[in-house]
Amino acid sequence: MPPFSNTWLPFIYLYTFGGLFFAAGMFIIHKSKSLNPQRKSHRKWRKVLIFGYFYFMIIHTILILTALYL
Amino acid sequence: MESLHGLGTATDWIVMIAYFLGIMLFGSYFAKYNRSTNDFFFGGRRFAWWLITVSIVATGVGSHSFVKYSAKGFEYGLSSTMTYMNDWFFVPFFLFGWLPIVVYTKIRSIPEYFEKRFSPTVRLIATVFQLLYMIGYLGIGLLTLGKVFTPLLPESFSLLGITIPVTLMGVIVVIAFITGVYTTFGGQTAVIFTDLLQGGILLATGVLIFIMGVSYVGGFDAFWHLLPETWRLPLADFNSPPDFNFVGIFWQDGVAGSVGFLFMNMGLLMRFMSAKSVNEGRKAAAFNVLFMLPVSALVVGSAGWIGKALIEMNPAQLNPNVNPDEVFIAVTHIIASEGVFGFVLAALTATLLSTVDSLINAIAAVYINDVHRPLKKLIKRRLAAEDVESKKELGAARLASILFTIVGIVATIPFNQYPTVYEAHGYFHSTLTPPLVTAIFLGVFWKRFTPAGVLGTFLGGSSLMILGARYPGILVAPFAHGTALDPVHPYTYIAALYNTFVCVGIGVLVTYLQPLILKTSDQIRRSKSHKLIIDTMIVLIVVFLLMIWFNVGLLAVLLPATILLTIFTSIAAAYYIKFDPSVHLEGLTIWSLKKAKENFKGGKVNDREGQKVHVMWRLRKDDEDVINLSNEDMKKMNAEIGDMVYLCDARKYLGGLKSVHTRIGEPHDDPGIVLISKEHKLIAHFQEDKILYAEKEM
Repeated sequence: MPPFSNTWLPFIYLYTFGGLFFAAGMFIIHKSKSLNPQRKSHRKWRKVLIFGYFYFMIIHTILILTALYL
Repeated sequence: MESLHGLGTATDWIVMIAYFLGIMLFGSYFAKYNRSTNDFFFGGRRFAWWLITVSIVATGVGSHSFVKYSAKGFEYGLSSTMTYMNDWFFVPFFLFGWLPIVVYTKIRSIPEYFEKRFSPTVRLIATVFQLLYMIGYLGIGLLTLGKVFTPLLPESFSLLGITIPVTLMGVIVVIAFITGVYTTFGGQTAVIFTDLLQGGILLATGVLIFIMGVSYVGGFDAFWHLLPETWRLPLADFNSPPDFNFVGIFWQDGVAGSVGFLFMNMGLLMRFMSAKSVNEGRKAAAFNVLFMLPVSALVVGSAGWIGKALIEMNPAQLNPNVNPDEVFIAVTHIIASEGVFGFVLAALTATLLSTVDSLINAIAAVYINDVHRPLKKLIKRRLAAEDVESKKELGAARLASILFTIVGIVATIPFNQYPTVYEAHGYFHSTLTPPLVTAIFLGVFWKRFTPAGVLGTFLGGSSLMILGARYPGILVAPFAHGTALDPVHPYTYIAALYNTFVCVGIGVLVTYLQPLILKTSDQIRRSKSHKLIIDTMIVLIVVFLLMIWFNVGLLAVLLPATILLTIFTSIAAAYYIKFDPSVHLEGLTIWSLKKAKENFKGGKVNDREGQKVHVMWRLRKDDEDVINLSNEDMKKMNAEIGDMVYLCDARKYLGGLKSVHTRIGEPHDDPGIVLISKEHKLIAHFQEDKILYAEKEM
């Protein structure tokens, strides 16, 4: 089994620090009303943005589990 | 490490040369769509999102990626995909921050934004950083092209009895010449359409290599289990080895690289600016990061994984000491038959050309906007009529393309000192992106960021970066997360964290100290000897910069010199630059996007959602830049007189090639008919009896 530093530590670091940048971005675009949830198309975009974050997180989880157990 | 030579057969070369000729003719055909520098550089802001997406794939992926990711895939496995899977974190900033600002402010280059947001002085310094960044990028692209072609050629060849050795630099020079041809004469429309073709070939070829490779080693199950367990992991080890570790690559690529690529790569930005609208640009960017990048990660790295599996299966098949940068070529040569190898190489060449051609195009755009025009203004040359001037600029743009290609060739020399293109590119991102990225980022998202802050970032931040490169064990080590110091190439990746930290730190500190800086500059201004004081400060700034650049003195001297340099720069900036928030902030930060849209339109924005309408066109006699739709059609579109409208040939496969942006004029009562001017017909190349659609933009 590869060490923790090669499996879940990079994953946690990636989605913690990356998540902080992502959250800051979402906060700023909301706060500035550049992304305006009152507009239908912007509500869709908000969903796409949040989906993207978890989409990559799930892909990485699956790839790590596959590498370790398959 | 052993280098390869003479891999290409006659059939492979015929396929490649045929491809080159074909693509040059294809690109040159689209030169007819360039009627001005706007068309030459930005493709007339007309294209559909899918066309931009495929074009971005060819540019983003083509840039050295096959070579460098196959190298790391061979050495470390699936973690070569890391750099393609860490871009989403900054996408919100881009889609709803930088992209609309770039489009709505109508800037032609990033330095132009700095002039609008701060001052002409800031623009000048930003131009230097921007050109350094782009020329460096071009150098990396040309170096990779050379590394791809050299293994295909013999070690030497004879011409008229003279033996000419085949050198990397010689190969680079010849390829750079060929690359420049269709970029120089085709412009952005040519780049986009050749990229459409090349992007498709690229993806198909990459998938083909993976399938052929997996089949060669006995199927997917055999391939997967031939790879050692650590090779199958998608993320590298946290902090070792120094030449490929997760934490360094996160800061170098995921942060500095991603932001640099999205925010300051003019080649990429020009693609988004070619989209017919901001929303279309958003779709292109999102689709690209979500779907095209993961596919691209497989496409560019798989030759390296196959190479590792080949060695595990039978070490005699591939020399384990092969130069990693040549793994892609070596593996493809093993698994592909004659002719197919040539086709794969043609596809690789195509993608590399895509990056290089759009970079040359983008550098020429920066030259025209930030050097050529300001210089003309400076020498106060009388400007000719707009159309004559535009044609002259087109000529200057073509000449600039050629000159910067030559400079790009010279830029390959320092990057060739690194063992692989991946490390050279990592070093490039770590060192050249942080000052400009920090300045753009704080400028767009932080209203308080001032000219003093941005100049402090440029001069103070870059000085601290230079000191970090000279004294990595002292300055960069605290940021290293336990990464070992490689004495030859110290902290290639994690230096990005230190560099970003010092640039952001200085920018933020100077901005927070703005009241004190303003107070000091006011006191100087009130002093009788104010001219002497400020001139002394400027002389000291130059002296400190020279000391830092030429390493005069120890760290104990240079570090205080950098602090004093930053203080003096900030005070001088406050003294000389008049910062008016109503001029330098309105429409130029994310906090005033509404104003940016109003400025773009030149009036109140009509955001009411409406339908597209399909219409047939008729020519009007006058040349007024408006189109006339029927009352009924305007009602469907929810449009008003003066609204901006996009008129396009309804054939979707054209991707907006035949289209025009204009405004809505007085309506008529003939539903399904649009009246256009002769100029609209010429710009859009509308054809008789072809249906168009009209869409309200705002």
